[in-house]
Amino acid sequence: MVDGEEHQVDPRSVKVARIIGVPLTLLFAMVPLIAFTLGKVLRGMPTRIYLSLLGGLLVLLALFLLVAYLWPAARHRRLRYLVDEGGLRIRRGVFWRMVIWIPITRVQHTDFSQGPVQRRFGLATLTVHTAGTAGASISLEGLEYEIAKRLCEHLRPDRVTHAS
Amino acid sequence: MHPDARRLNRWSWIFIAAGTARTLIFPVIGATVVSGGVLLARLDLLSLIFIVPALVYAVIKQKVYNYRFTESELVVRDGLLTRNVRHISYERIHNVTLVRNPFHRMLGLVTARVETAAGGKPEALLRVLSLEAAEELRRYTLGEQEETTSTDAPLLQVPDRELVRLGLISNRGFLVVAVVLGGVSQTQWWDQDWAAILEKVRARAPEWMGWLFESWSITGGVLFGVVFALCFLVLLRLVSIGWYLVRYRGFTLQQKDNDLRAEYGLLTKVSSLIPVHRIQLVTVSVTFLHRCFGRASIDLETAGASDAGSDLSGQLATSGVHNTRQWLAPIVEAERATELLREVLPEIDIDAVEWEPIEARAVRRIVNRAAMIITPVTLIIAAVLTFTPIPLSGWYALWLPAVTLSIIWLITRRWVRRAGYALTDCAIFFRSGWLGRQISVVRFVNMQTVSMHQSPFDHRKRMASLAVDTAGAGGLGHRIRIPFLDVDIAESILKRLYVETRSTEFRW
Repeated sequence: MVDGEEHQVDPRSVKVARIIGVPLTLLFAMVPLIAFTLGKVLRGMPTRIYLSLLGGLLVLLALFLLVAYLWPAARHRRLRYLVDEGGLRIRRGVFWRMVIWIPITRVQHTDFSQGPVQRRFGLATLTVHTAGTAGASISLEGLEYEIAKRLCEHLRPDRVTHAS
Repeated sequence: MHPDARRLNRWSWIFIAAGTARTLIFPVIGATVVSGGVLLARLDLLSLIFIVPALVYAVIKQKVYNYRFTESELVVRDGLLTRNVRHISYERIHNVTLVRNPFHRMLGLVTARVETAAGGKPEALLRVLSLEAAEELRRYTLGEQEETTSTDAPLLQVPDRELVRLGLISNRGFLVVAVVLGGVSQTQWWDQDWAAILEKVRARAPEWMGWLFESWSITGGVLFGVVFALCFLVLLRLVSIGWYLVRYRGFTLQQKDNDLRAEYGLLTKVSSLIPVHRIQLVTVSVTFLHRCFGRASIDLETAGASDAGSDLSGQLATSGVHNTRQWLAPIVEAERATELLREVLPEIDIDAVEWEPIEARAVRRIVNRAAMIITPVTLIIAAVLTFTPIPLSGWYALWLPAVTLSIIWLITRRWVRRAGYALTDCAIFFRSGWLGRQISVVRFVNMQTVSMHQSPFDHRKRMASLAVDTAGAGGLGHRIRIPFLDVDIAESILKRLYVETRSTEFRW
């Protein structure tokens, strides 16, 4: 793992993101759906307008669902991390890309967290905190639990200080 | 109470109450204005509501507040209902700022702000201490020597005439005038019969000026506008000069061991100590107006709190904006600027660095993008000119892209040519500016993370921008963000910066 090679995060993270993203999109679609239906029932909105609004909503929903399904895969394809003796590099972004280097000597502390869905798949999110401002905390989602734990240990700042 | 604990000065309650009053003054004025002066008539009621609780609070606060020095930390105890004990280790303390306004000086007292890297609010506000107690505080927390040992010649002294120049250069007046106008607009002063006022002025004006008031006189309108604008500009500059003379009168920068001490202020004297190794970023600014006067400004960011917000003018000037910058030199001769910086941070020598340019291709990219926006606008205007009865040929629409694009081309070409970066064996430099120039420096020890960013456009043109993150960076000001680099060059700089930070340790 500490090999200076680029790695991808666990491919199951795509599934995790979809399991969260798709129902969330459906949930958001409920809001206008309820509003339109209330408009029809309580305020007597003409059926033609109601149906065309529903049609529009359906088209939008299909579009958003497609994005919610495809986006995690695209994001996963672009997300790479590299760990060497001195630090962590993350390369990410589908359209707007970025590479960030976090030297261990600048790490304040690290932690990792697991959401409920992530736990089912044995995945975790690693967060590295620095004293910086824009890069005060940097997260890496979708790591396998064991890897996240070992990275968390590897990136501890006092480890390097004692070694040197 | 701990046997070693020290209390605040016995006059503290006055200053605590005054502090509370200051935060209340604007709401109270606002309420008075809104109520149309009704509240003013009920001063007795007002005093009951505001002043009595403020005084009670102040007295209690003075009784409860105490602090003591241990081997390694400052322990501050505060709070009546919820006891609050704060341990601030001397290591973490970046700065102890002493503030004295005329009342402080009358009683020989001082307000001390203890600042750490946390930023924003000071870690501890000791309001107020006697001068001896403040000296003791500094001695313990910063390991500072007795006052008398500083006999070095100051690094920088800013005389009054320089402050006047600074007032002319700076746009500080805008903020103050904006605040004043904001207040005036609240009073509905503008709701007047302006036509009647104009009539009155006209009746009093001498005969020869009569033509100015002819209805729809264009000359009169223009003249009036110009005079008004001139008055406004002069007012702005006067306010600005006044502000600087009051706030930064007698600015002195002194080197003490490894620290810097800045002292300034006409009414409120501020004495601020900056440990040199805590400087995170330095910016040398030469704006267009600076250049006209042959001057420069140097400001810096420490990871600690800011020097703003210590008094009313500071709050006005920086209201809402978290400013983490403070002056190393508010104004200094341009030739002296780099020398001064070298005296403070010997490893940073702006004159000696070799600048690398950014990609010249950037000019075409920016102009192309502007052209993409302007083209449809031009077509629309051409269509309007052609198909409506406006007696102008559609070809006249071509003036728009011709003029705007050449201006944009000239500006970006100059900007790109003057921008650049430099790497020495201990720091990274970035300079930019169209008319003026700003140079920012971050030492490798102070870098936190380094990153490279690519927008879709960058990606297509194989370019990238590079950013360096530091502790305590505010949202404002010039910093290390180098745009329009060739992507391969950016990658190699990124790697180099990473290797440099990896091998150094960050000290708070």
